[in-house]
Amino acid sequence: MLSEVIKSMVEHQPDMEVVGEVLDPIELLIAVREIMVDVVLIAPMKDTGEPRICRQLLTENPMLKIMTFSAEGKAAFLYQSDSPTMRIDEPSEHSILTTIRKSMQHIVDDSLRTV
Amino acid sequence: MNKNIHVFIVDDNRLLREGLVSMLAEQEDLVVVGAAANGRLALEKIIELRPEVALIDIGMPGKDGIEVTQALHKEAPEVKVIILGMIDLTDEIMACIEAGAAGYVLKEASFTYLVETIRSADRGESFCSPRMAASLFSRIAELAVERMPKLSKSSVRLTAREVDIINLIAEGLANKEIAQRLFIETQTVKNHIHNILDKLQLHNRLEAVEFARQRNLLKKQP
Repeated sequence: MLSEVIKSMVEHQPDMEVVGEVLDPIELLIAVREIMVDVVLIAPMKDTGEPRICRQLLTENPMLKIMTFSAEGKAAFLYQSDSPTMRIDEPSEHSILTTIRKSMQHIVDDSLRTV
Repeated sequence: MNKNIHVFIVDDNRLLREGLVSMLAEQEDLVVVGAAANGRLALEKIIELRPEVALIDIGMPGKDGIEVTQALHKEAPEVKVIILGMIDLTDEIMACIEAGAAGYVLKEASFTYLVETIRSADRGESFCSPRMAASLFSRIAELAVERMPKLSKSSVRLTAREVDIINLIAEGLANKEIAQRLFIETQTVKNHIHNILDKLQLHNRLEAVEFARQRNLLKKQP
C-alpha cells in the first residue's frame, strides 16, 4: 500500500514522471540500465541500513538519487554518490518531494524521471 | 444515487496517512472526514464524527489499534473498523475480530483491495483474503478440537469387546495376558486399546480405566 501511495504522490507532481515500476533488485538494476532515470524510490525496506542495491546503482550511475523508506514509515533516506546519506524522520509528502527537488537542482532539465 | 461512505484514517505513519487521505478522496463514493496519528485522538474524533468506516493502524504508540477498536465497539458500535496490520498472524487477526473489527487488511495489500474492504464493511460484510480466511478456518478448527473431548466423551459408545478389554486392564493384565484371556492376537488387543483411547480422546490406559469406573462400566470383582 505504501508503494502505491508513493507512486501516486509522484504521479501527481507536474515536474515528475513515473517511468517504471519493478518488484525486485535485479529487475531494478536492469531497468535503470535501460531507462533514463534520475531518481529511484525504494519502499518499504525492512531495516534502515543502506541496501546493497544502492551501492551497486550508485556505482553504475553516479548521478542517480535513491530514496528508501523504512517499513514502518518512520524514516526515509536519500543516497547519492556526491553527498552523505540524508535521513528524513517522520517523512511527509512535502518533505519527500522537497528533498528530491533540492537534490536535483543542479540538473538543467526540469523533468524528473523516477522508477 | 449511492450514498457516500465517510471514512476516518488512523495511522502514525504520516506518509501513509497523508497518502491514503489523498487517494481515498479520489474515490467517488468515499469521503475522508478526518485523520489522526494516535489512538487517543482518533477515539475522540471518531466518536464525535461517527464515520461509517474507520481505518485503524494496529501498531500505534499509546493506545493501539485493538484498544481503539474495543473502545469504539462500546462507544460507537455503528462505526465499522478495518484494522491495518503488518503481518497476517492468526492470533492477531482473531484478537481484532474479538475486539469488534469488521475487517483486517495487511499494509502490503493493494489500494484497490483496501477500497473494496471499505465498501464491503459499509455494507455490513466482512471482506477477507483467501489467506486470511484459511487462517481463520484453521483457528476455528483448533477451537473445535479443543471443545470436542467434552462433547464427544458423553456421547461416545464403547463396544462390548472394548468394555471387556478395559475391565481386563483394570484387573492389571498386560496386553499379552488380555489376548490369551480373550483368545485373540496381542496386536488385536493393541488395536482395541488404540481405538478406545482415540474414541475417548484419552492419553493412556489408566485414563480409560478411570473413565470406565466413573461410568460404572467396570464389572464387580468376584
